[in-house]
Amino acid sequence: MAGAVTSKGCQKIRGSQIKELLDAKRNVLFDCDGVIWNGETAVPGAPEVVSLLKQQGKNVFFVTNNCTRPRENYVQKFSRLGFNDVAQEEIFSSAYCSAVYLRDVAKVQGKVFVIGGSGVYNELRDAGVPFVEEETDTAGGSIYDCPLDSEVKAVLVGYDEKFNFLKLAKACCYLRNADCLFLATDPDPWHPLRGGRVTPGSGSLTAALETATDRKATVIGKPSRFMFECIASQFGVDPAQSLMVGDRLETDILFGTNCGLDTMLTLTGVSKMEEAEGYKDSDTPEKKDFVPDYVVDTIADFLQIEEED
Amino acid sequence: MAGAVSSRGCRRLRSSQIRDLLDTKHCVLFDCDGVIWNGEKAVVGAPEVVSLLKKRGKNVFFVTNNCTRPRESYVQKFSRLGFKDVGQNEILSSAYCSALYLRDVAKVQGKVFVIGGDGMYKELRQAGIPFVGGESDAAGVTISDCPLDSDIKAVLVGYDDKLNFMKLAKACCYLRNPECLFLATDTDPWHPLREGRVIPGSGSLTAALETATDRKATVIGKPSRFMFECIASQFAVDPARSLMVGDRLKTDILFGASCGVDTVLTLTGVSTLEEARSYRDSYAPEEQAFVPDYVVDTIADFLPALEDGGTL
Repeated sequence: MAGAVTSKGCQKIRGSQIKELLDAKRNVLFDCDGVIWNGETAVPGAPEVVSLLKQQGKNVFFVTNNCTRPRENYVQKFSRLGFNDVAQEEIFSSAYCSAVYLRDVAKVQGKVFVIGGSGVYNELRDAGVPFVEEETDTAGGSIYDCPLDSEVKAVLVGYDEKFNFLKLAKACCYLRNADCLFLATDPDPWHPLRGGRVTPGSGSLTAALETATDRKATVIGKPSRFMFECIASQFGVDPAQSLMVGDRLETDILFGTNCGLDTMLTLTGVSKMEEAEGYKDSDTPEKKDFVPDYVVDTIADFLQIEEED
Repeated sequence: MAGAVSSRGCRRLRSSQIRDLLDTKHCVLFDCDGVIWNGEKAVVGAPEVVSLLKKRGKNVFFVTNNCTRPRESYVQKFSRLGFKDVGQNEILSSAYCSALYLRDVAKVQGKVFVIGGDGMYKELRQAGIPFVGGESDAAGVTISDCPLDSDIKAVLVGYDDKLNFMKLAKACCYLRNPECLFLATDTDPWHPLREGRVIPGSGSLTAALETATDRKATVIGKPSRFMFECIASQFAVDPARSLMVGDRLKTDILFGASCGVDTVLTLTGVSTLEEARSYRDSYAPEEQAFVPDYVVDTIADFLPALEDGGTL
């Protein structure tokens, strides 16, 4: 089919088209960063959209790769930013789902060595999954002679502002054992900050570990299906009646495609319309999975469904 | 050529064959770690091999990806481990060659942001290249608010056991500018330590940066050709009459293949004969470049050929 350009996907919709789409969906899954908020600022209209959808009897879930906070902390953030009544059970974060995976899927017998922050530690603690305690300053400790814990049965890597060489080296030593699991909270390579700055993401730290061990991590977060399976196992969620709304083509849209959901790209975050159209016009079959079914400038456009035509 | 198994390569050499091979070579390049020494111990017989090659009039060079030492420190290590008269100009390390590249090839006008250690700092200083790296940040400073130097024109990443998140994040911010060069001393993914431990290599840290920036680093060290070009620009070296001896298939042997130089795998380091043979028997064409022409158990196997009274 060389030269054939598919016209499916990237459909900019508004008003009555959004209404028609939402009428057919019982469940709406939102990514957080770049979709409902950016940093500490809600996307204007986002709290109203969430309320409106719930009023219409839809199930609303939040599916985020951001592993820096435990869920109770997210509940507080939602409240602080003006979203009313978002319950902990509606929030699926990669830290929470990693803990669920370790406890219920891998059923790990032993400790987890963590490269990550308090979000991950708190979720592991809540799930009752033992982990190697985060050391404070390891003055004088080096990979040549530091103690290694023989009970480590899994390594979990996620965003870690205290990432350093010794943590990386210890993780490598644990992963020499082929029976030691290798998990990553998410593959996000970087995240935008203000003023054109960027911060490396979990994906960057995972790449360091994959290269140093010649192993591939099992990824918990989007675009892997696991977080959707967590939702589906706790709530009856039919993919055909569900919509995934995200801002990152390689993460959120691919996730939606992998799970059989309709997908919508919102332009308040990372990915641009040009990138979406680039994937749409690509000759490579895999790239079609990154193409959103629908596009909106902002999820505030959902509020148009209340307007008179 | 499905079904064809190549018989080329991985030839075990006996001493008369080694003599014949060395007869045709005027230059021998050695990797260091795993070839002439392991840690602080010379490979038994290695100092004698180097002396005898030089006595027989061969040019001998040491080509190492290990960027943790400046060359003068290597000169001392050679001496300490019993190698006589190895001069600084016979040593090509990735730290030294990175400095050369920045000064003479990239001709960088501005500062270099370094993820690395003392070896790299010293070579940059000696080459007169201004750099930033290794300074601690004030307490509580994050990547959102730390000062960034507007004069950074290149990022150089190498082995750094003081790597931390801020260094990685700053490098990412600098590399947002497509005019900022992105160099890596080498791509070695890991290195073996004692008792089954491993240590991440420059390649691991480079992978973190490549993922976070969606850019590919220009690699100075093996298997890139640059270190060979550094030698060839200073000495008359004919690839057809040169031999590369190494212990790592994807680094040393690939380097030799890229430079058109015959290759010898020695088994005192990282790669095994089984790995070499499986690349030889592989159907993937790109894996043929990892196949050594010859294999020896240790470079001490050169000794009978060199000690013989016969002329070389």
